[in-house]
Amino acid sequence: MSNTKQEVVAAPKRRGLSLDGWAVLLAFALAALVRAGVFKHVPW
Amino acid sequence: MADAVVLPQVQPARPVAQFFKLIPGVLLLAAVGYAGKLLEQNVGKYAKDHHWTFPNIEYVLWAILIGLAISNTVGIPQIFRAGVATYEFWLKAGIVLLGSRFLLGDVLKLGVPSLALVLIEIAFAIAFMTLLGRVFNLKPKLTTLLAVGSAVCGVSAIIATKGAIDADDEDSSFAIAAILALGALSLFTFPLIGHALHLTDHAYGVWSGLAVDNTAEAAAAGALYSDAAGKLAVLTKTTRNALIGFVVLAYAIYWAGKGQAQAVGNKAAFLWQKFPKFVLGFLLISLLATLAIFNKEQIGALANLSRWAFLLTFAGVGLRTNFRELAKQGLRPFAVGAIGEVLIAVFTLGLVYGAQRVFHW
Repeated sequence: MSNTKQEVVAAPKRRGLSLDGWAVLLAFALAALVRAGVFKHVPW
Repeated sequence: MADAVVLPQVQPARPVAQFFKLIPGVLLLAAVGYAGKLLEQNVGKYAKDHHWTFPNIEYVLWAILIGLAISNTVGIPQIFRAGVATYEFWLKAGIVLLGSRFLLGDVLKLGVPSLALVLIEIAFAIAFMTLLGRVFNLKPKLTTLLAVGSAVCGVSAIIATKGAIDADDEDSSFAIAAILALGALSLFTFPLIGHALHLTDHAYGVWSGLAVDNTAEAAAAGALYSDAAGKLAVLTKTTRNALIGFVVLAYAIYWAGKGQAQAVGNKAAFLWQKFPKFVLGFLLISLLATLAIFNKEQIGALANLSRWAFLLTFAGVGLRTNFRELAKQGLRPFAVGAIGEVLIAVFTLGLVYGAQRVFHW
C-alpha cells in the first residue's frame, strides 16, 4: 500500500433541471400543444 | 504526489425507472382528485333529489377530505409515495398555466398593491415570530425557520433557509410540521371566517395569499371560497414566493456574521439560485396572453389544464397530511407557530380591510 497522503476527490455532480424547471417546461410544452391546435378543447 | 481517491457516488436510479416509480402515486392523486370532482357533482344533486339539506361542498374540499381519510387511516403504501410527492410539481405547473388567465397589466395592477401588503406582512411576521421564539425559549435557528416559514412560503422557504444557515434536521422537521399542521387547519377555518365576515372574492383571495403559508394550502384555501378568490390567492402567494431569496439571503448573512453558517459568496448567484423559477414561467405565459398569442378558446383550454394540475395538488395536500406524524414533533414549536399564525392572520386581515378601502376592491 502506498504511504503517500490521500486526497479525497468527489466525482463531479450531475447537473439537472430543478423541480421548478421541469414544471415550467411541462407548462410551456402544454401551452405550445394548445397553441398548435393539438389540444383544441380541454374539458373540465 | 498524493493519491487521489474518487469517492464512489450513489448511482441515481435511471431516469426511466424513476419515471415509472412515479406512476402509481400520480394515478392515486388523479383518482382522489377525480373522486372529489364526481362527489361535488353528484352529492349535491342526490341531496336535492331526496329533499335533504346538504351544504354545497366544492371538489377542492372533497379531494382534501378523501386524501386526509386515506392518509390517516390505511396510510400511503410505499409504492404510491414517490408519485404522491409530485403534488408540488403539479402545483407549480398549474401556477404557470394560470398565468394565461392574467393579462400583464392585470398582474401589475393586482401585483403592486399585493407587493406592498406582502412586504408589510413579511416584516411583521419575522419580527413577531422572532419575539415569540424568544418568549418561548426556542432554539434561535428553529425560531429563524419558523419566522421564514410563516413570513414567506412555508415548506420551500424552510428547506431553502435550512441549507443557508446550517440548521439541524430536527429543527427543520419541527418547523415544517408546525407550518403543515397550521396550513391544514387554515383550509377549514379561512373559508368559514371569510364567509362570516362577508369578504369579497378579491379581499378574501388576497388575505389567503398573505396569511396561509404553504403555496398548495394557500391555493386550496382560495379555491374553497371561489374561483376568483383562488386566482387572487395564487397571485398574492406567488408575489410572496418571489421574495424568498431576499429573506433567505438576509438570514444567511446574519448567521454567517455570527460564525454559525457559511459566508455567502456571490449574492446575485445566491438570489438566482433561491428564486422560484415558476414565477418567471407565470409572468412569461401572462406576457404571451397579453400579446394575444393565444385565442379565447386556447386560453380556456390552458385554464382548464391549470385546474387539472391544481386538482392533483389538492389531492396531494390531503394525502401527505398525517396528523399522528405531525403530533410526534412536539408541542412547543406548534404552540409558537399557532400563536404566530393566528396573529399574522388577524394582522393581515386588518391590512386587507385597509387596502379594500384604499383600492376599492
